[in-house]
Amino acid sequence: MTARRLLTPANAALAVLVVLLLALPAINSGFFVTFVLTQALIYGLIAVTIVFLTSHGGMISLAQLLFAGIAGFMFGNAALESGARGLNLGWPPWVAVLFALAVTTAVAFLLGALASRTTGIYFLMLTLVYGVIGYTFFAQVVTVSGPGGVTSIVAPEPFTDRVNLYYAAVVLSALAYLAFRAIGRTNFGLALQGVRDDPVRMSSLGFNVPLHRTLAFTLGGFVAGVAGLLNVWWRGQIDPASISIGPTLIVLIIAVIGGISYFEGAWLGALVYVLLDTYTDSIPLIDRIGLTPDRFNTVIGLMVLLIMVLSPEGLVGILERVRRGRGGASPSEHSIELPTTSPTPVQTGSGREP
Amino acid sequence: MNRRLRKRRLVPAALLSVIALLSSGCSEGGGDGTGDGGSGVDPATEGGPVKLGILGECEGPFGGFHEDTVAGVALAMANFAGATVSSKTTALDGWTGAEVNGTPIELVGIGCGDDTPDTIRDEISQLVEQEGANVIIGPLSGDEGIAVAEYAKAHPEITVLSGIAGSQEPTLQVQAPNYFRFHGDGAMWNAGMGDILHNKEGWDTVAVIADDYSFGHTSAAGFIADFCGVGGEVTHRVFPPLGTTDYSSYIAQLPDPDEVDGYFWVVGGTGTQAALEAFVNAKGDLTGDQHAGNLFFNPGLASALGTDIAGAYVGGFAVLPGDIKTPEIEEYLASADETWDTLKTGLTGGEPGPPSTAAGFGFMYGYYSAGVALIRGLEATGGDPSPEPLQEALANLTLDLPYGEISLDENRSGIVDVGLSQLVEEDGKIVQKAVAIVPKVDQSFGGTFSTDTPPPSRDFPPCETADLPWVGNEIPVENGVPQE
Repeated sequence: MTARRLLTPANAALAVLVVLLLALPAINSGFFVTFVLTQALIYGLIAVTIVFLTSHGGMISLAQLLFAGIAGFMFGNAALESGARGLNLGWPPWVAVLFALAVTTAVAFLLGALASRTTGIYFLMLTLVYGVIGYTFFAQVVTVSGPGGVTSIVAPEPFTDRVNLYYAAVVLSALAYLAFRAIGRTNFGLALQGVRDDPVRMSSLGFNVPLHRTLAFTLGGFVAGVAGLLNVWWRGQIDPASISIGPTLIVLIIAVIGGISYFEGAWLGALVYVLLDTYTDSIPLIDRIGLTPDRFNTVIGLMVLLIMVLSPEGLVGILERVRRGRGGASPSEHSIELPTTSPTPVQTGSGREP
Repeated sequence: MNRRLRKRRLVPAALLSVIALLSSGCSEGGGDGTGDGGSGVDPATEGGPVKLGILGECEGPFGGFHEDTVAGVALAMANFAGATVSSKTTALDGWTGAEVNGTPIELVGIGCGDDTPDTIRDEISQLVEQEGANVIIGPLSGDEGIAVAEYAKAHPEITVLSGIAGSQEPTLQVQAPNYFRFHGDGAMWNAGMGDILHNKEGWDTVAVIADDYSFGHTSAAGFIADFCGVGGEVTHRVFPPLGTTDYSSYIAQLPDPDEVDGYFWVVGGTGTQAALEAFVNAKGDLTGDQHAGNLFFNPGLASALGTDIAGAYVGGFAVLPGDIKTPEIEEYLASADETWDTLKTGLTGGEPGPPSTAAGFGFMYGYYSAGVALIRGLEATGGDPSPEPLQEALANLTLDLPYGEISLDENRSGIVDVGLSQLVEEDGKIVQKAVAIVPKVDQSFGGTFSTDTPPPSRDFPPCETADLPWVGNEIPVENGVPQE
């Protein structure tokens, strides 16, 4: 790819955004950076794997938080020397990182292979089952966790400094965004989108459909595992409730809020979610209209409903429509970029049955 | 796809994100700009106010007790710091005018937990790092207590007083030097039960069924240590997950009534009644001579399960059984009714009811105790809320509270009196009557638990005899009057 091709408005905007985010701690390294933005970036990094699997593979996965959790549990078990629960292997932290990612990726490959012959609602339900099994496994198997989880987890240097952890979240998010975009243009990515649109035809052409789905699922699991490491370093602990059905649905809702067809929507949805979660009860007199903290889920539910009514493609979809309304680019049905060689428009995220 | 659209798509998202982060980033409080990996807070300096955050629980199994927790702190402020509550019908509006030695105590926020460590960690982060709280009172529940103690350990600039979190770990294992617990833990609240059931009621064998989380483990551990300590044998330990709705598979793991002398129940929240009903369906009626439980075993169960439950023994809690009346207790309960007209508490089912109803239960009382401790600690420092003097003062406090004196052990956990009770039938109704007070119970159980032992779990402690300091020293209670 030439430098000229790289210098697109989108890439320039991404570069400006990343620079701004990296420069932000110099202005304010307090709560907004180390809590709100870090949490949003981690959520976004998990949610973008849902976007990738949905938009490129036609697979809506509810197992992505499980992979984040597996990475967190594995890191905690491997890195801690002593503690109330877990294996307490006491390995060097970066060895523990490799171990956690290896286990997570291997589990994602196995679970992906099992699920690779299903699509649509069946795939969704199967990944939900994965999530429930994972929750139950970590809640019941006290050797690696038990109901109390693994606590006192310390991030490896230099990420004990929460600003450095924020930097890591920014850089990894940018890398994941670029990587997922780039994958869409590779042979694998093109084949995966072909599998998404017409698996029977792709199979007839000699493509190994289950293998493509499995590898995509594995990649999603790996990236979610990276996010899981950031998450467990940030929180310092992980327990089965961290990967229960509630948080699992939150990650899906984040992807939907942002726009499940847009990679950038994952982080936008995460930012909106975390901002609402953090600041809703700070709005003056909001409790007078019944929106007390215990009704936060109602706020999120209304938000999702509103977005779905206004734009099924989420907040980024709304922004696109606003921009088009101002006389911008011509309307398009497509949300995920396709190769320039693509001869015909393709509706994303359909996940048609073979 | 239209490449032009693709190129431009990121721009609006980027702009929106930048605007959001800049606007919010500039408006937050408490940032110090150090980026030191800690809180980014500006904790109270000498002479500054106490910025108090309360960690309640407005969702989850104990979400109905949110009002109770805040009311406990507010009542302490009203009784001892000259505060005026902002509403006569809810504690959640806070108070005004709280002051100790010229140092104001400002309520900066109320955290809303849901019984999970992740949520409570987010809530305390928000209170400390966004709202600038330098003192925290809470949380309510066991797993939350561990998460908050871990957070406190990493943030020595704050001072945390536990609300009523009854897991053992926060003080004995985590050992955050700035985490103080002016109440007992779940194990301590069952101290003396083994002595009564084995030596008085003749139980030699018992099956234990307990919630599978830190408080359930701790509460069961206290009973097991006590029962085995005096020579009893625990034959079965069954741990259903917290929040289970169908207990039939767990009841099936229990022995039949003719195989064991008794059952000890540590199933709380919405699970208590469901578990007992599952037992009735699978193994027959509940009888008071073969069943006992921790604090969750209450007279209300009789309405659904029948009066055969009369005779069952019940473990203690932060307060003494309701039939024990002293002038101090009466004065404390009356002060709650004077402070508010009504409160919508967990004890009144979320409906407006007498505040003293909630005040007489351990949730509100635990937070009240923490509030009083904060005030007494500030009095000892001359109003200085700085971490070092305040924490030193708290560690050396002995509180003279309505339900008994509380001092702290070397791990900053309360040494408390525990009131044991029994369900008895009076005029066709089941009521709870105190049977004994176990004085000066501490966390160690005579050495069974220490900083070197693992935290209570499904298989810890083992069933072993031990010398328990309170065996034979329980103070009997007759007709609500301690006999010593």
